[in-house]
Amino acid sequence: MSCEDYRPLITGYVDDELSAADRRRLESHLRACDACRRERDELVAFKEHLTMIKFKEPSDAELERYWKRVYNRLERGVGWILFSLGAIVVLCWAAFAAIEAMIKDPDVSLVLKVGVVSLIAGGVVLFVSIVRERLTVRKTDKYSREVER
Amino acid sequence: MDEPDEALIRRCQAGDTDAFGLLVKRYAGRATGLAVVLVGDYADALDVSQEAFVRAWRHIRTFRGEGSFFAWYSSILRKVALTWLRRRRRRKETEPADACLAPASGVDPAVLAERNDESERLWRAILRLPTRHREIIVLSHFQGLSYKEIAGVLEIPLGTVMSRLHAARQALRKELSGVDP
Repeated sequence: MSCEDYRPLITGYVDDELSAADRRRLESHLRACDACRRERDELVAFKEHLTMIKFKEPSDAELERYWKRVYNRLERGVGWILFSLGAIVVLCWAAFAAIEAMIKDPDVSLVLKVGVVSLIAGGVVLFVSIVRERLTVRKTDKYSREVER
Repeated sequence: MDEPDEALIRRCQAGDTDAFGLLVKRYAGRATGLAVVLVGDYADALDVSQEAFVRAWRHIRTFRGEGSFFAWYSSILRKVALTWLRRRRRRKETEPADACLAPASGVDPAVLAERNDESERLWRAILRLPTRHREIIVLSHFQGLSYKEIAGVLEIPLGTVMSRLHAARQALRKELSGVDP
Protein backbone atom coordinates (compact mmCIF):
# COMPACT_ATOMS: atom_id res chain seq x y z
CA MET A 1 0.00 0.00 0.00
CA SER A 2 1.21 3.51 -0.82
CA CYS A 3 0.94 6.58 1.42
CA GLU A 4 -2.03 7.77 -0.69
CA ASP A 5 -3.88 4.56 0.27
CA TYR A 6 -3.16 5.20 3.94
CA ARG A 7 -4.47 8.81 3.91
CA PRO A 8 -8.21 7.99 4.26
CA LEU A 9 -7.27 5.62 7.10
CA ILE A 10 -5.59 8.54 8.90
CA THR A 11 -8.98 10.30 8.84
CA GLY A 12 -10.58 7.27 10.51
CA TYR A 13 -7.65 7.06 12.95
CA VAL A 14 -7.96 10.62 14.25
CA ASP A 15 -11.74 10.10 14.58
CA ASP A 16 -11.16 6.83 16.45
CA GLU A 17 -13.30 4.97 13.94
CA LEU A 18 -10.84 2.35 12.65
CA SER A 19 -11.21 -1.37 13.21
CA ALA A 20 -8.50 -2.95 15.41
CA ALA A 21 -6.85 -4.54 12.35
CA ASP A 22 -6.77 -1.27 10.35
CA ARG A 23 -5.50 0.63 13.38
CA ARG A 24 -2.59 -1.84 13.82
CA ARG A 25 -1.80 -1.68 10.09
CA LEU A 26 -1.78 2.12 10.09
CA GLU A 27 0.22 2.44 13.32
CA SER A 28 2.86 0.17 11.88
CA HIS A 29 3.01 2.38 8.76
CA LEU A 30 3.10 5.59 10.84
CA ARG A 31 6.14 4.33 12.73
CA ALA A 32 8.00 4.07 9.42
CA CYS A 33 6.63 7.08 7.49
CA ASP A 34 7.46 10.71 8.36
CA ALA A 35 5.05 12.16 5.76
CA CYS A 36 2.04 10.26 7.08
CA ARG A 37 2.93 11.09 10.68
CA ARG A 38 3.02 14.76 9.64
CA GLU A 39 -0.35 14.33 7.90
CA ARG A 40 -1.80 12.81 11.09
CA ASP A 41 -0.47 15.67 13.23
CA GLU A 42 -1.82 18.26 10.78
CA LEU A 43 -5.20 16.58 10.76
CA VAL A 44 -5.35 16.56 14.56
CA ALA A 45 -4.47 20.28 14.58
CA PHE A 46 -7.03 20.96 11.85
CA LYS A 47 -9.78 19.21 13.86
CA GLU A 48 -8.82 21.30 16.87
CA HIS A 49 -8.91 24.46 14.74
CA LEU A 50 -12.47 23.69 13.63
CA THR A 51 -13.64 23.65 17.25
CA MET A 52 -13.44 27.47 17.03
CA ILE A 53 -16.80 27.37 15.31
CA LYS A 54 -19.62 27.22 17.83
CA PHE A 55 -23.31 27.33 17.06
CA LYS A 56 -25.43 29.88 18.88
CA GLU A 57 -27.55 28.40 21.66
CA PRO A 58 -31.08 29.80 21.23
CA SER A 59 -32.52 31.63 24.23
CA ASP A 60 -35.53 30.18 26.11
CA ALA A 61 -37.82 32.69 24.40
CA GLU A 62 -36.47 31.72 20.96
CA LEU A 63 -36.91 28.03 21.74
CA GLU A 64 -40.50 28.64 22.84
CA ARG A 65 -41.24 30.54 19.61
CA TYR A 66 -39.59 27.77 17.60
CA TRP A 67 -41.67 25.05 19.28
CA LYS A 68 -44.90 27.08 18.86
CA ARG A 69 -44.28 27.28 15.12
CA VAL A 70 -43.71 23.50 14.95
CA TYR A 71 -46.83 22.89 17.06
CA ASN A 72 -48.95 25.16 14.83
CA ARG A 73 -47.86 23.15 11.81
CA LEU A 74 -48.77 19.89 13.56
CA GLU A 75 -52.20 21.30 14.38
CA ARG A 76 -52.72 22.57 10.82
CA GLY A 77 -51.83 19.08 9.54
CA VAL A 78 -54.65 17.56 11.63
CA GLY A 79 -56.99 20.30 10.39
CA TRP A 80 -56.19 19.52 6.76
CA ILE A 81 -56.73 15.79 7.28
CA LEU A 82 -60.17 16.39 8.86
CA PHE A 83 -61.10 18.93 6.17
CA SER A 84 -60.05 16.54 3.38
CA LEU A 85 -61.93 13.61 4.91
CA GLY A 86 -65.07 15.72 5.29
CA ALA A 87 -64.80 17.00 1.71
CA ILE A 88 -64.36 13.47 0.37
CA VAL A 89 -67.41 12.17 2.31
CA VAL A 90 -69.62 15.09 1.19
CA LEU A 91 -68.51 14.90 -2.45
CA CYS A 92 -68.94 11.10 -2.60
CA TRP A 93 -72.42 11.38 -1.09
CA ALA A 94 -73.43 14.11 -3.57
CA ALA A 95 -72.01 12.15 -6.52
CA PHE A 96 -73.75 8.96 -5.40
CA ALA A 97 -77.10 10.79 -5.04
CA ALA A 98 -76.74 12.42 -8.48
CA ILE A 99 -75.82 9.13 -10.19
CA GLU A 100 -78.62 7.24 -8.43
CA ALA A 101 -81.14 9.88 -9.59
CA MET A 102 -79.80 9.69 -13.15
CA ILE A 103 -79.98 5.87 -13.30
CA LYS A 104 -83.54 5.86 -11.97
CA ASP A 105 -84.60 8.54 -14.47
CA PRO A 106 -86.40 6.81 -17.41
CA ASP A 107 -85.84 9.87 -19.63
CA VAL A 108 -82.02 9.37 -19.63
CA SER A 109 -80.86 7.10 -22.48
CA LEU A 110 -79.33 3.70 -21.66
CA VAL A 111 -76.16 4.59 -23.61
CA LEU A 112 -75.53 7.61 -21.36
CA LYS A 113 -76.18 5.52 -18.23
CA VAL A 114 -73.71 2.82 -19.37
CA GLY A 115 -71.17 5.55 -20.26
CA VAL A 116 -71.41 7.21 -16.83
CA VAL A 117 -71.20 3.90 -14.93
CA SER A 118 -68.18 2.83 -17.02
CA LEU A 119 -66.53 6.23 -16.39
CA ILE A 120 -66.97 5.82 -12.64
CA ALA A 121 -65.79 2.18 -12.63
CA GLY A 122 -62.66 3.19 -14.61
CA GLY A 123 -61.96 6.03 -12.20
CA VAL A 124 -62.24 3.71 -9.20
CA VAL A 125 -59.87 1.13 -10.77
CA LEU A 126 -57.30 3.86 -11.56
CA PHE A 127 -57.58 5.32 -8.05
CA VAL A 128 -57.11 1.93 -6.36
CA SER A 129 -54.14 1.15 -8.62
CA ILE A 130 -52.41 4.46 -7.79
CA VAL A 131 -53.06 4.07 -4.05
CA ARG A 132 -51.66 0.51 -4.14
CA GLU A 133 -48.54 1.69 -5.98
CA ARG A 134 -48.01 4.54 -3.49
CA LEU A 135 -48.37 2.16 -0.56
CA THR A 136 -45.84 -0.25 -2.08
CA VAL A 137 -43.31 2.58 -2.56
CA ARG A 138 -43.94 3.86 0.97
CA LYS A 139 -43.13 0.42 2.41
CA THR A 140 -39.66 0.46 0.88
CA ASP A 141 -38.99 4.18 1.31
CA LYS A 142 -40.87 5.94 4.08
CA TYR A 143 -39.83 9.42 2.93
CA SER A 144 -39.92 8.84 -0.83
CA ARG A 145 -41.12 12.34 -1.53
CA GLU A 146 -37.95 13.82 -0.09
CA VAL A 147 -35.45 11.37 -1.55
CA GLU A 148 -32.77 12.93 -3.71
CA ARG A 149 -33.07 11.50 -7.19
CA MET B 1 -32.54 16.34 35.77
CA ASP B 2 -33.37 16.31 32.07
CA GLU B 3 -35.43 13.38 30.90
CA PRO B 4 -33.34 11.19 28.53
CA ASP B 5 -34.21 11.05 24.83
CA GLU B 6 -35.34 7.41 25.02
CA ALA B 7 -38.00 8.21 27.63
CA LEU B 8 -39.20 11.26 25.69
CA ILE B 9 -39.40 9.25 22.47
CA ARG B 10 -41.49 6.56 24.18
CA ARG B 11 -43.89 9.29 25.35
CA CYS B 12 -43.97 10.76 21.83
CA GLN B 13 -44.80 7.34 20.39
CA ALA B 14 -47.76 7.25 22.76
CA GLY B 15 -48.94 10.59 21.30
CA ASP B 16 -47.57 13.00 23.94
CA THR B 17 -46.91 16.34 22.17
CA ASP B 18 -45.47 17.90 25.35
CA ALA B 19 -42.67 15.32 25.24
CA PHE B 20 -42.12 16.15 21.59
CA GLY B 21 -41.90 19.82 22.52
CA LEU B 22 -39.06 19.02 24.92
CA LEU B 23 -37.23 17.09 22.19
CA VAL B 24 -37.72 19.92 19.69
CA LYS B 25 -36.37 22.49 22.15
CA ARG B 26 -33.42 20.22 22.98
CA TYR B 27 -32.33 19.93 19.35
CA ALA B 28 -33.59 23.17 17.76
CA GLY B 29 -30.16 24.86 17.85
CA ARG B 30 -28.30 21.93 16.28
CA ALA B 31 -31.11 21.39 13.77
CA THR B 32 -30.98 25.01 12.64
CA GLY B 33 -27.18 24.89 12.33
CA LEU B 34 -27.36 21.82 10.10
CA ALA B 35 -30.19 23.31 8.03
CA VAL B 36 -28.19 26.52 7.46
CA VAL B 37 -25.39 24.43 5.97
CA LEU B 38 -27.84 22.75 3.60
CA VAL B 39 -30.02 25.68 2.50
CA GLY B 40 -27.58 28.56 3.02
CA ASP B 41 -30.00 31.03 4.60
CA TYR B 42 -30.90 31.44 8.25
CA ALA B 43 -34.62 32.22 7.82
CA ASP B 44 -35.05 29.31 5.39
CA ALA B 45 -33.11 27.08 7.76
CA LEU B 46 -35.62 27.79 10.54
CA ASP B 47 -38.47 26.92 8.18
CA VAL B 48 -36.85 23.73 6.85
CA SER B 49 -35.80 22.46 10.28
CA GLN B 50 -39.32 23.07 11.65
CA GLU B 51 -40.87 21.21 8.72
CA ALA B 52 -38.47 18.32 9.38
CA PHE B 53 -39.64 18.20 13.02
CA VAL B 54 -43.26 17.97 11.80
CA ARG B 55 -42.30 15.01 9.60
CA ALA B 56 -40.35 13.46 12.46
CA TRP B 57 -43.50 13.64 14.61
CA ARG B 58 -45.58 11.99 11.89
CA HIS B 59 -43.08 9.12 11.63
CA ILE B 60 -42.03 8.91 15.28
CA ARG B 61 -43.61 5.46 15.65
CA THR B 62 -41.16 4.09 13.06
CA PHE B 63 -38.15 5.20 15.13
CA ARG B 64 -36.58 2.02 16.52
CA GLY B 65 -33.81 3.61 18.57
CA GLU B 66 -31.02 1.91 16.60
CA GLY B 67 -29.11 5.22 16.47
CA SER B 68 -29.52 8.54 18.22
CA PHE B 69 -32.69 10.62 17.78
CA PHE B 70 -30.67 13.44 16.25
CA ALA B 71 -29.08 11.15 13.64
CA TRP B 72 -32.57 9.91 12.68
CA TYR B 73 -33.91 13.46 12.60
CA SER B 74 -30.89 14.59 10.52
CA SER B 75 -31.75 12.11 7.76
CA ILE B 76 -35.29 13.56 7.62
CA LEU B 77 -33.96 17.12 7.70
CA ARG B 78 -31.54 16.40 4.86
CA LYS B 79 -34.33 15.04 2.67
CA VAL B 80 -36.62 17.98 3.43
CA ALA B 81 -33.75 20.40 2.65
CA LEU B 82 -32.93 18.68 -0.63
CA THR B 83 -36.57 18.83 -1.72
CA TRP B 84 -36.63 22.50 -0.71
CA LEU B 85 -33.50 23.22 -2.76
CA ARG B 86 -34.81 21.33 -5.79
CA ARG B 87 -37.98 23.40 -5.75
CA ARG B 88 -36.01 26.61 -5.46
CA ARG B 89 -33.38 25.37 -7.96
CA ARG B 90 -30.54 27.26 -6.28
CA ARG B 91 -29.45 28.44 -2.88
CA LYS B 92 -30.32 32.01 -2.07
CA GLU B 93 -28.65 33.92 0.71
CA THR B 94 -30.87 36.70 1.96
CA GLU B 95 -29.60 36.57 5.53
CA PRO B 96 -26.01 35.91 6.50
CA ALA B 97 -25.59 32.19 7.12
CA ASP B 98 -23.26 32.96 10.03
CA ALA B 99 -26.27 34.27 11.99
CA CYS B 100 -26.26 30.83 13.62
CA LEU B 101 -22.70 31.19 14.94
CA ALA B 102 -22.02 31.95 18.58
CA PRO B 103 -19.53 34.75 19.26
CA ALA B 104 -16.25 33.71 20.87
CA SER B 105 -15.96 34.10 24.60
CA GLY B 106 -13.06 35.64 26.53
CA VAL B 107 -11.87 38.87 28.04
CA ASP B 108 -9.32 40.39 25.68
CA PRO B 109 -11.28 42.31 22.99
CA ALA B 110 -8.42 42.00 20.47
CA VAL B 111 -8.24 38.21 20.90
CA LEU B 112 -12.03 37.99 20.77
CA ALA B 113 -12.20 39.94 17.51
CA GLU B 114 -9.48 37.76 16.01
CA ARG B 115 -11.29 34.57 17.06
CA ASN B 116 -14.58 35.80 15.66
CA ASP B 117 -12.94 36.69 12.36
CA GLU B 118 -11.28 33.29 12.13
CA SER B 119 -14.48 31.47 13.06
CA GLU B 120 -16.31 33.42 10.33
CA ARG B 121 -13.56 32.68 7.80
CA LEU B 122 -13.76 28.95 8.60
CA TRP B 123 -17.54 28.94 8.37
CA ARG B 124 -17.57 30.75 5.02
CA ALA B 125 -14.99 28.32 3.66
CA ILE B 126 -17.24 25.42 4.71
CA LEU B 127 -20.21 27.02 2.99
CA ARG B 128 -18.22 27.36 -0.24
CA LEU B 129 -17.63 23.59 -0.39
CA PRO B 130 -19.85 21.39 -2.58
CA THR B 131 -22.91 20.00 -0.74
CA ARG B 132 -21.48 16.47 -0.34
CA HIS B 133 -18.39 17.85 1.42
CA ARG B 134 -20.21 20.54 3.38
CA GLU B 135 -22.74 18.20 4.91
CA ILE B 136 -20.27 15.50 5.94
CA ILE B 137 -17.95 18.06 7.58
CA VAL B 138 -20.84 19.45 9.59
CA LEU B 139 -22.26 16.07 10.58
CA SER B 140 -18.87 14.87 11.74
CA HIS B 141 -17.30 17.98 13.30
CA PHE B 142 -20.23 19.98 14.61
CA GLN B 143 -23.00 17.46 15.15
CA GLY B 144 -20.65 14.81 16.56
CA LEU B 145 -22.24 11.90 14.66
CA SER B 146 -20.37 8.59 14.43
CA TYR B 147 -19.41 7.15 11.02
CA LYS B 148 -22.27 4.66 11.33
CA GLU B 149 -24.76 7.44 12.01
CA ILE B 150 -23.37 9.54 9.14
CA ALA B 151 -23.72 6.55 6.81
CA GLY B 152 -27.39 6.31 7.83
CA VAL B 153 -28.06 10.03 7.36
CA LEU B 154 -26.34 10.28 3.97
CA GLU B 155 -27.51 6.83 2.84
CA ILE B 156 -24.01 5.76 1.82
CA PRO B 157 -21.96 2.67 2.75
CA LEU B 158 -19.93 2.90 5.97
CA GLY B 159 -16.65 2.62 4.00
CA THR B 160 -17.58 5.61 1.86
CA VAL B 161 -17.95 7.83 4.95
CA MET B 162 -14.22 7.67 5.67
CA SER B 163 -13.14 8.33 2.07
CA ARG B 164 -15.68 11.15 1.62
CA LEU B 165 -14.74 12.76 4.92
CA HIS B 166 -11.08 12.54 3.94
CA ALA B 167 -11.82 14.23 0.60
CA ALA B 168 -13.97 16.88 2.33
CA ARG B 169 -11.23 17.72 4.85
CA GLN B 170 -8.65 17.96 2.07
CA ALA B 171 -10.97 20.26 0.12
CA LEU B 172 -11.55 22.45 3.16
CA ARG B 173 -7.85 22.69 3.95
CA LYS B 174 -7.19 23.74 0.37
CA GLU B 175 -10.07 26.21 0.49
CA LEU B 176 -8.60 27.77 3.64
CA SER B 177 -5.12 27.94 2.24
CA GLY B 178 -6.46 29.62 -0.90
CA VAL B 179 -5.39 26.81 -3.24
CA ASP B 180 -7.91 25.46 -5.74
CA PRO B 181 -9.02 21.99 -4.67
